[in-house]
Amino acid sequence: MSISDPLYVRGKIAGVYPSLSSRRDEAYIEFVEDARNALLHGQQAPIAAYSRDLLKKAGASMTPDKASCDAAEKILMQDPALKTYYRVKRSLQESFWNGIRSSFNMRRDAILAAMDAAVTKGPGTVTLDPDMPMPEYSQAQIHLQPGAYAYEELGGLFYDYGLKVFMGGAADNDNLPKMVARIVRVPADGKVTRVLDLGCSAGATTTALKLAHPDAEVTGIDIAAPMVRYAHLRAVEQNIDVHFKQMNAEKMAFPDNHFDAVLSMLLFHELPPEASRRVLEESFRVLRPGGAMTILDFTSVDDRDVYNMWFAEMDSKDNGEPFLPPFVRSNIEKTIAAVGFKMEPFDPKNSLRTGRVCIKPLQQ
Amino acid sequence: MSKKNGADELAYVRDLPGFKPNNPTYFEQEAIDHLIGIVLELGGELWTLRDRMAYMEELLRDSGSKVLEKLDAGRPSDALQAKLSAERKEFISRVYSRLYSRYGGDKAQHTTAPM
Repeated sequence: MSISDPLYVRGKIAGVYPSLSSRRDEAYIEFVEDARNALLHGQQAPIAAYSRDLLKKAGASMTPDKASCDAAEKILMQDPALKTYYRVKRSLQESFWNGIRSSFNMRRDAILAAMDAAVTKGPGTVTLDPDMPMPEYSQAQIHLQPGAYAYEELGGLFYDYGLKVFMGGAADNDNLPKMVARIVRVPADGKVTRVLDLGCSAGATTTALKLAHPDAEVTGIDIAAPMVRYAHLRAVEQNIDVHFKQMNAEKMAFPDNHFDAVLSMLLFHELPPEASRRVLEESFRVLRPGGAMTILDFTSVDDRDVYNMWFAEMDSKDNGEPFLPPFVRSNIEKTIAAVGFKMEPFDPKNSLRTGRVCIKPLQQ
Repeated sequence: MSKKNGADELAYVRDLPGFKPNNPTYFEQEAIDHLIGIVLELGGELWTLRDRMAYMEELLRDSGSKVLEKLDAGRPSDALQAKLSAERKEFISRVYSRLYSRYGGDKAQHTTAPM
């Protein structure tokens, strides 16, 4: 019997995800996933056009400042179709967490025991830091995930399966992490000895980075112990040699000039801007001169009109994204430059979200 | 048709209430009209399933099959999963897409998260 058997008691689904505890639970979640694809993802383009039309007919300001967003909300949330959309969005988000949590809780003790047993197994390692001070922002229940990332022992597993549902199939077979790993910028000299995955969550991008750079030492850090514990078990199951550490990216325990490449996949919009600045400063410190940092995240306010700025504000309120609007409004490009990075162009067709490539100059 | 055949005299019928299909609303909040339609539709779907499940379980018990034990532990064949997936998408569209008929969202295609 393998240590990961309790995780994969009904096998895997979509290539990499542990199956839910029964076919009944699975059918329920398949329904929620398809409902999201039809009633949320599929609506993005038509509902944006409809909303902008409503705003224009009302003579609303289309600039993305806060006052215009507040005015837009008053106009848009009078509309029954838009009220319905946001009700459906909230309900489906609650549905998928409820379905995932109740299903995995049925074999909770066995999964926790498997994660404990995996701590000493390789390939790769996991290092926990139970005495690490946890910043207050870590308590935010991002995406409404039960227990937040750090305070529910099955948080990594919930997040992993939640991503499958949230992405509606786009992340199946780790396709999304593998795509991300392929587009992570490497230094101009091509030398990639050490790679760092910031805010690695369930470790899917970390293992994908190892597959893309098999000769490099790849490390994933996350502030949440449940994430790195689960990520390690997931990597052990796939026999991929990566290292996970529970660590705050604001204060990393790595030497200066240590990494050749750093990835941040959808981390910064889940941090307050003050923390983001410290993470960027630390990333600059641990990258070697000529090293490259790739940031994949949401667009800044300068690339938005009032509709998609307001959409981000609705997401913050209704989907547990308290730091998304401050992130968007912070124009992180300015902070990237302020800490010393030189930004290089990134092909927007390459990524899920906007990419920012940050190079640590050879001469400082 | 020519005028003497009475085509123009009958043109008014096109404007009669009920001549063209529409989406009547009876409540001040249009969403309530949609929700009642959805709840009724779901009742029909749920009952159809209950009836079918009860009949299937009776047939399985009568035949001495152990299939019932496998229902939760297993998973349908790839072919049946593909069939169910297509039917589930159609079911979701049929039951819920009316919610967005106001702006044409009921014609939108299923998509995954934006890439």
